[in-house]
Amino acid sequence: MASIEFVNVTKEFDKKEIIKDLNLKIEDGTFTVLVGPSGCGKTTLLRMIAGIGPQTSGAVLIDGKDVTDIAPGKRGVAMVFQNYAIYPTMSVRENIEFGLKNNKVKKAERTELVESISAAVGLTDFLDRKPSTLSGGQRQRIALARAMVKKPSVFLMDEPLSNLDAKLRAQMRIDLIELHKKLGTTFVYVTHDQVEAMSMADTIVLMNQGLIQQEAPPETIYHEPSNIFVAQFIGVPPMNIDELGVGGVKFGFRPESAIGSTEAGTTPFSIRGEVVTREMLGSETLYKINYKDTSFMIKSLEDRFTVNQQVYVSVPTEKMYFFGEDGNRIPTSHPSYSSYIEALRSY
Amino acid sequence: MSRGKLWEKLRPYVMIGPAMIGIGLFVIYPLFYLIYLSLFKFNLMNRNMSKFVGLDNYIQILGRQDFYKSLTNTVVYTAGVVILTLALSLLIAVWLSKRTRVNAIVQAGIFTPHIISIVSVSLIWLWMMEPSLGFLNYILKGLGLPTSQWLQSSKSAMMSIIIVSVWQAIGYYTLILVAALQGVSPTIYEAAALDNASKVKVFRKITLPLISPQLFFILIIMTIGSFKVFDTVKIMTGGGPNNATNTLVYYIYSYRTTNIGYAAAAGVVLMIIIGILTIIYFRLMAKKVHYQ
Ligand SMILES: Nc1ncnc2c1ncn2[C@@H]1O[C@H](COP(=O)(O)OP(=O)(O)OP(=O)(O)O)[C@@H](O)[C@H]1O
Ligand SMILES: [Mg+2]
Repeated sequence: MASIEFVNVTKEFDKKEIIKDLNLKIEDGTFTVLVGPSGCGKTTLLRMIAGIGPQTSGAVLIDGKDVTDIAPGKRGVAMVFQNYAIYPTMSVRENIEFGLKNNKVKKAERTELVESISAAVGLTDFLDRKPSTLSGGQRQRIALARAMVKKPSVFLMDEPLSNLDAKLRAQMRIDLIELHKKLGTTFVYVTHDQVEAMSMADTIVLMNQGLIQQEAPPETIYHEPSNIFVAQFIGVPPMNIDELGVGGVKFGFRPESAIGSTEAGTTPFSIRGEVVTREMLGSETLYKINYKDTSFMIKSLEDRFTVNQQVYVSVPTEKMYFFGEDGNRIPTSHPSYSSYIEALRSY
Repeated sequence: MSRGKLWEKLRPYVMIGPAMIGIGLFVIYPLFYLIYLSLFKFNLMNRNMSKFVGLDNYIQILGRQDFYKSLTNTVVYTAGVVILTLALSLLIAVWLSKRTRVNAIVQAGIFTPHIISIVSVSLIWLWMMEPSLGFLNYILKGLGLPTSQWLQSSKSAMMSIIIVSVWQAIGYYTLILVAALQGVSPTIYEAAALDNASKVKVFRKITLPLISPQLFFILIIMTIGSFKVFDTVKIMTGGGPNNATNTLVYYIYSYRTTNIGYAAAAGVVLMIIIGILTIIYFRLMAKKVHYQ
């Protein structure tokens, strides 16, 4: 049980600032998911919490205490590494047991823990094998088991499910959510998978180039993105964005908010374009619609249009977003908000 | 058509032909000739006077005190060199495995003896180990430590030769071990740090197993090499004083003109000993070595 706090943390590699003056508080017992494009500093952040890649300046607090001088093994932190970092010369059992042995856990208790955890991750049949004889997904589960078995107060996971097949991943996702409920410990979880982020997180922290773009619950991130980057990062396909033509303001709408129809719509944003591609994904269909010199993606639950067909696309006003020149979202309370809505009519 | 087929069959043999001729000429033929010689009382002046004596030479070897003396010397030498070289090069390698400028220079420094001819190395040490005027005793005296007779006493001669061999070998094996250590992924050490492993534990449970293939390689190569030691002995002591440094190969060498058959038989015995040792190593160690 522990909260984590970053206070004005900066991290440099070879004089290059990767994390700039970062402030972040992760509440005790929450499930926080870190997302962001590759290379934005997610792993770097986790390593600072673990103490294996200390910050250049600033402080990392665990439970309100500055942990700069506390050894990684004494922080009550367990980590699942992005590249697993399994001990190649030890058997699966020895890998899982290693931390327990170092913490002087009694043999009987150790055996019981190892057996129960390995059953939970489906490794029971492999306990006496060497990691080199296992598949990528099985190795990833060793890494998970090795962290889980230590009952840490902070759980750091760096894309722990990336190499599992879809079915096992869905299963492990549920297992991890349950584990979090059961243990009530603080989870910090890195992923590229939006489904994982949205389904597991209490709080999503979205980073880009070492800066936090938004820190909010999944619903908020989705419905009230704080800027263009967040709006386009979350959601598949990303939000459609284009120039409004008024004072550098941009407008945007999500593909799933658009309504495609063969008759003209009545909302301020209503255009007529041509279907150029159609992707049937099973329960839903994606269309790419060409309009003037740009194109929009729309997502529809029905599969009604064909390629080259002329269709009308309209978007309900409450599902329209506007972004200022600096990229930040313009709130509905903004004085010019209604004028931007009107400007859509002449788009 | 059939010519094509014939060529198809012959081609691999033609391809390996040159190499096989080389091996046959320079490895297999000498080996069998050595065994052949060992069965004769050989006369260098007149080959026709040579006499087939069967296993007589071998029976003689196994019954002679001086053979056992040189065998014991060889074992002592080998044990000393192998253990010291392994321990020291491992120690230095751990120290040098951090990539810094200074370490690169130090590493180049300790590698240098390896590129100097062992003859020169031996001569320099011969001079440094001279009891009354040599550099080593000068230093020892300066530090107020007891001096040594080095090569001139049967008590310290073997130790002196071991020191020279270790000094010469260490740089090369350190290089191999440094490469092995640097090949270990740093995240494994980070994982161990998070698992609260002590330094000693990390070294014993993670580092050592990971570099065990290289350690095993060094063990085998050094054992075989040390069993065949010759040049240092020849130059520094000539087997003396009082046979204290007479090793197997030097023993064989000393019979090169007087009794070729006997020397050949000793050579065969040496080969068998090394063969057996290697097999034992593989049997004993195979389980402890982690190939990835
Ligand atoms: N040891 C290092 N030396 C130099 N630069 C580094 C080092 N580790 C990370 N970096 C740099 O820091 C930046 C952030 O790296 P980090 O590993 O935190 O990214 P990430 O968000 O985890 O990306 P990914 O999603 O691809 O894992 C990258 O630009 C990377 O090149
Ligand atoms: Mg990463």
